[in-house]
Amino acid sequence: MEILVCVKRVPDTAENEIEVKGDGTDIERDDLVYSVNEWDNYAVEEAIQIRDKVGGSVTVVTVGDEESEEVLRREMAMGADNGILLSDDAFENSDGKGVAAILKAEIEKGKYDLILTGAQADDGAGQVGGMLAAMMDLPYASLVNLIDVVDDSTLKIGREIEGGNQEMSEIGLPCVLSIQTGINEPRYVGIRGIRKVASVDIPVHGVADLGLPADAVGETGAKVKRMDYFVPEMGDGAEILEGSTEEIIDKLIEHLKAKGGLK
Amino acid sequence: MAQLIADRRDIDFVLHEQLNVGELSKHEKFAEFNKKTIDLTISEARNLSIKEILPTRQLGDQEGCRFEGGKVTVPECFHKVWDLFLEGEWLAMPEDPDWGGQGMPRTVSMAAGDYFNGANYAFMMYPGLTHGAAKLVEEFGTPKQKEMFLKNMFTGKWTGTMLLTEPEAGSDVGALNATAVKNDDGTYSISGSKIFISSGEHDLAENIIHPVLARIEGAPAGTKGISLFLVPKIWVNEDGSLAGSNDVVCTGIEEKMGIHANSTCSLTLGGKGQCRGLLLGEENKGMRAMFLMMNEARLLVGMQGLSCASASYLNAVNYARERVQGRNLLQMMDPSTPPVPIIQHPDVRRMLLTMKSYVEGMRSLLYYVGFLGDQIQISDDETEKVRLQGLIDLLIPVCKGYVTDKALEVCSHGIQVYGGYGYIKEYPQEQLLRDCRITMIYEGTNGIQAMDLLGRKLGMNKGKPILDLMAEIQKTIAEAKQVDHLKEHAAKLEAALNKLAETAMHLGATAMSPKVLAAFAFAHPFLEASGDVLMAWMLMWRAVLAAEKLEQGTKKKDTAFYEGQLSSAQFFNSVMLPITIGKMDSILATHPAAVDITEDAFGGK
Repeated sequence: MEILVCVKRVPDTAENEIEVKGDGTDIERDDLVYSVNEWDNYAVEEAIQIRDKVGGSVTVVTVGDEESEEVLRREMAMGADNGILLSDDAFENSDGKGVAAILKAEIEKGKYDLILTGAQADDGAGQVGGMLAAMMDLPYASLVNLIDVVDDSTLKIGREIEGGNQEMSEIGLPCVLSIQTGINEPRYVGIRGIRKVASVDIPVHGVADLGLPADAVGETGAKVKRMDYFVPEMGDGAEILEGSTEEIIDKLIEHLKAKGGLK
Repeated sequence: MAQLIADRRDIDFVLHEQLNVGELSKHEKFAEFNKKTIDLTISEARNLSIKEILPTRQLGDQEGCRFEGGKVTVPECFHKVWDLFLEGEWLAMPEDPDWGGQGMPRTVSMAAGDYFNGANYAFMMYPGLTHGAAKLVEEFGTPKQKEMFLKNMFTGKWTGTMLLTEPEAGSDVGALNATAVKNDDGTYSISGSKIFISSGEHDLAENIIHPVLARIEGAPAGTKGISLFLVPKIWVNEDGSLAGSNDVVCTGIEEKMGIHANSTCSLTLGGKGQCRGLLLGEENKGMRAMFLMMNEARLLVGMQGLSCASASYLNAVNYARERVQGRNLLQMMDPSTPPVPIIQHPDVRRMLLTMKSYVEGMRSLLYYVGFLGDQIQISDDETEKVRLQGLIDLLIPVCKGYVTDKALEVCSHGIQVYGGYGYIKEYPQEQLLRDCRITMIYEGTNGIQAMDLLGRKLGMNKGKPILDLMAEIQKTIAEAKQVDHLKEHAAKLEAALNKLAETAMHLGATAMSPKVLAAFAFAHPFLEASGDVLMAWMLMWRAVLAAEKLEQGTKKKDTAFYEGQLSSAQFFNSVMLPITIGKMDSILATHPAAVDITEDAFGGK
């Protein structure tokens, strides 16, 4: 099975204190530590497991700047066979539809049976997977937490739905699935994998390679524009506890006792 | 969220800015390890350390190892991380890929080890000892022995140990009594009792390969009659398959102050007359073999110390940023001002900067010694190789003895910053100090390291290594003198360096005189003074680079980092070095009180 996994390089929320820029247009990105979006890591692991079971290959693709190459290399060290970086100045500030359009152009250059995305990204809106499927006229399932390959043309998939319920469906290939965390336990990257990808060249495709009109993507093509970015003001009745962890815990217990939550 | 175990920015700084390890990839031997590969390697070592190994540190300490019916079980949580560690092939990072290693520069493997050891070094002793034992097989084994053992050890399928110590043979290894008798088939029958054997018995792997020091019947007394043997727990047939038990019996494990999760075993070899060993290397050359491996083992122990110190420092600085207690000293008299994070208090800052400067200086020193080894690997100039090896040999007692002494001090400050919380088991600080304490004792006590520096290393090769080292330090001083922020501090380093040379000459001469005992009573203070000057050097080297970067203009986060480098260097050279000058005055005076006092006068009878 030929599998494509869309991945994204995002600020690592475990590593960074996220601050909003003074002018409210974005977060401060200068000093951030980046890593691969957590959901995408599960999608890559799932793709590797399927490939190891039924054969085929796994390709990881990302839309980003040249530094995004590091997440492709990392996912290849994990076990993906190929990587493709979609990078062009014209892609900057694309909205979700723009990103989906860039991915669609790349996907149409190849032949993939299964396209996986993370259910959402740490800094995203959870929209690209669904848009990509619609634009490509492919069947789509979101929040997938189980995949069984039935045969060359069908998958059995499980989806997590409200209230902890599980839904099982059949879906025809090719299709797009957005993957929920917990579907597997992503493997760690070992040194052998790292050495294997040390000198691999990762192809970079831009507007011209993809045959995209430059004004359909990027800032000019974006129909959704971010107007402001801020930390919401605290509403009435909310209180943020401050201090060291144990002080916060002590205060929380006091509050719970005082309001009758703890007896 | 704050960083754990080791500051990634600091590790990157030493690797890429101070030592330029990426340049090693220009040489064929390390071609795979360009900067991108190095960074990915460190990121993944860190990822595994923080997500999987670190959570086992406290659990392992609480659960400890258990001994029942001759079997030892390690903490339950170790099995999963052991499997992950082996899957990632992290055990033999710098070794030959043909034998299961990864061919990585030693410096890079040390940076990865910084995270692994800081995450849980009691756990890391299982792979660490395996690596050391396998190195003995690699260096001294016959082709057949390598085929039988090496790959299985470098890949962690089998683990390894080191059997030296006996009840009456501790620091004086030459006094050991374990015996070996040659059999007709070329093997040796081994018998004896060994104690304090780290990782000597456990349930992580199917076999344990023990390198054992023993005396062949009729061999000369002392170290000249000691041979080295490979003694498997389960006998290994020539085709590599496992035979039966080899009569290596664990008779107990020690209850220790720290590293509870590493089994410290008493082993009886040949209690039933059924223990066999294979001679490793030549008869009666066992001690020589051990000495060849000692540099590496001692560097690793220094690394264990640094890792505890680094973890303790990061915990402390993060705690001090969050813990609110007391008013700022400047508003002390105004009861209406709110309390502040304790990082604002001068005494806490003093402790934190002491910790920071030691951790940074020690990290640079240890990686530097690893880097010297990498340079030997790629050099084809014999004179240069001798020079580099001389520097390594000279610096090893400092890397082990000084670094672990100071690591313990750092861990103690790390408790102090937490106040009462530092002393209780709910927080990580007290365990780091307990675990760290053994590093001052094993692999040659720090007293032995001091004697090694004074008695062997200073005069080695007619003193050329010490002169080479001073020339290296002088280079940094010359550069620092060109930097406005550092001029004054560089002059202090230069004065301390000159005084260290004077002290070395004096102590060397005293050691050759009738006052030899007095000289050796100052061996440890001399180790300490030498280490202080080396810290000051490393911090000055860092500061020179940082000053350059600041001048060129940097990003916000980098600016704080580089300014922090200037602070460490200024603090160490201006606050700590004057004390070192005093220490050297004391050494130069060489007062013989410690050797003159009669044993009765120690009192207590």
